[in-house]
Amino acid sequence: MTPGSKQYFISYLGRIVTPLTRQQLMLLVLGIITLITPIAATSFGAANISFTDVIQVFINKATNLTQANGMTERIVMELRLPRILLAFVAGAGLSLAGSVLQTVTRNPLADPYLFGISSGASFGAVVMLTLFTGSGFFDNTGMAAHSGLFSGSGALSGLLWFSLPLGAFIGGSLSVLIVLALSGLGLNSQVERMLLSGVATSFMFGALTSLLLYFASPQATASVLFWSLGSFAKASWSLLVLPTLVIGASLFIILGMKRQIMALQAGDETAHTLGVNVPKLRLNMLLLCSLITAILVATCGGIGFVGLMIPHTVRMLFPGRQPILLTALVGGLFMVWIDVLARCLLGNQELPVGIITAAIGSMFFLLILRKRRVMP
Amino acid sequence: MKLSAIQTNSPVNDSDTNPSLSPSVALNVSQLSWCIDGKTILSNINFTLPTGQMLGLIGPNGAGKSSLLRCLYRFVRPTQGKITLFDQDIERLSPKAFACRVAVVQQDTPHYFDLTTEQLVSMGLTPHKGMFDTNSSCDIERIAKALEKVGLSHKMHQQYEHLSGGEKQRALIARAIVQQPQLLILDEPTNHLDVRYQIQILELVRSLGISVIASIHDLNLASALCDSLLLIHNGEVSAMGTPTEVLTEARIGDVFGVCAQVSLHPQHKKPLISYFYGYHHVDHGLNERGEGG
Repeated sequence: MTPGSKQYFISYLGRIVTPLTRQQLMLLVLGIITLITPIAATSFGAANISFTDVIQVFINKATNLTQANGMTERIVMELRLPRILLAFVAGAGLSLAGSVLQTVTRNPLADPYLFGISSGASFGAVVMLTLFTGSGFFDNTGMAAHSGLFSGSGALSGLLWFSLPLGAFIGGSLSVLIVLALSGLGLNSQVERMLLSGVATSFMFGALTSLLLYFASPQATASVLFWSLGSFAKASWSLLVLPTLVIGASLFIILGMKRQIMALQAGDETAHTLGVNVPKLRLNMLLLCSLITAILVATCGGIGFVGLMIPHTVRMLFPGRQPILLTALVGGLFMVWIDVLARCLLGNQELPVGIITAAIGSMFFLLILRKRRVMP
Repeated sequence: MKLSAIQTNSPVNDSDTNPSLSPSVALNVSQLSWCIDGKTILSNINFTLPTGQMLGLIGPNGAGKSSLLRCLYRFVRPTQGKITLFDQDIERLSPKAFACRVAVVQQDTPHYFDLTTEQLVSMGLTPHKGMFDTNSSCDIERIAKALEKVGLSHKMHQQYEHLSGGEKQRALIARAIVQQPQLLILDEPTNHLDVRYQIQILELVRSLGISVIASIHDLNLASALCDSLLLIHNGEVSAMGTPTEVLTEARIGDVFGVCAQVSLHPQHKKPLISYFYGYHHVDHGLNERGEGG
């Protein structure tokens, strides 16, 4: 009884549907959620679009027969669908990065945010943002900062479209390099040192970001603040391309290296005796996670705690598996629904996604700590 | 009951009549030295291990046993010297190729966060598999056989963390079996185990019929189950040979600083060491024993 009523409920369900094991049942539920999510999540938002409207739009698009309600179709196809897909890709990518980092560093509390990659990427992005919007201010008298990142004047937004992910990636890689330089690259390098230097790097970049913002104009500060809390509001089909490619490729690589990553779980020395080039694998995985995080921070801002809590939740729900694909799927679905919450919680206003994930994430964090104390 | 089990299973008696299958040398170490931060850990170590034999590595704490083993499985790079594995320089082998030939069972088992016994054992396949290879039916059978060999078939779906000390050690040996090595290196495999598991694990390793190097603290266990012994003291080879040649009263007193009487074991006729006690007044006690012996 102590593990909670949820488990009891699941076992109760399991008794009704006897041939299914608990895990199969969970997979079934997950499958159903996956199927209805694109349609259900699309029907939430400021404009009143019903479930059936969404299905109609999808059918129309698929068969390309009638031109139904132009407005509804445009909202669904150009605003909500790319947004949902971006949320899915971001959630999947962050969970993937968190899961890999937790395994590679053998630390259950590792995630892109705690590791300094995120703050490094944020710093890089903020440098670019203040540089370009700063110059934009003198020309456009604050227009650029307020009209958002990607809808500013043509040349500027084009420049930002490239420079922001680039800045984020450079910042993220820089923090990884600092962490690796501090902890040493050799086989005997301590994971603890790596994590501690990650925390220190994270604080350092946080301070630098604050310093930049302190000297920036209020408008730039406001837009940077809003940006760094994370949002999928800027989603468009063109913005989706880069994150989807990067995270798809990363998923492919991680699935290919699954055995090596799993061997690392058993300790550096054991992994070494199993033929794994430990320093190289760890470096490559860190760089891959830095790439994922940097691209995501650049496109949707800083979304914390997803990378920490999704891998743990999946591990708890599906014990004894190494569910890389499942982690990505659950992370993606979770983020889609968090984004729905962000759109709907406050009537006309949108909440930054980062606030909701951090709120839920920290609660979850405390729960895990409590559970760990109970289990010897 | 236990004794009869040991007698029927024991390969000790017929080990001498069972010459190694091929005449070649499994492992050859020549002039191996390892210094770190100006401190010499190992110096000028030479020995060979014939194919199919079991070599016991003995010596006091801090003598350099684990360091020597780490050099052998390339976790540390020796300052000088050459190690060849079946006439191949181990430096030349890729990590993967090396892991296909040499399996290691380590002294203490690190903390795993979420693995079943079966998954742990299947890790032994890691060096044999390419990027997207899945486990074939042959692999699954191999894993099942290895688990059966170490007597853990019934625990295959249990969490590795929840196994007892002896079961964990056996699971690690099953992983080494799945790795299909030509040489098995064990770093104090009998640590923390009760006497029955100590015997069981070493006999299990012997029964695999591959070349083995194991560091062992218990001299009687080493004497009973190893074909030859390598005694290390202060990073140097103190003696090498059959248990009878290595385990003499003088040498045990010299290297380990204890007084012992060596007699013949009633079953396997190899040295049986009985220690003397009473070292509160070290000098006095030693003198007394020395005179008495």
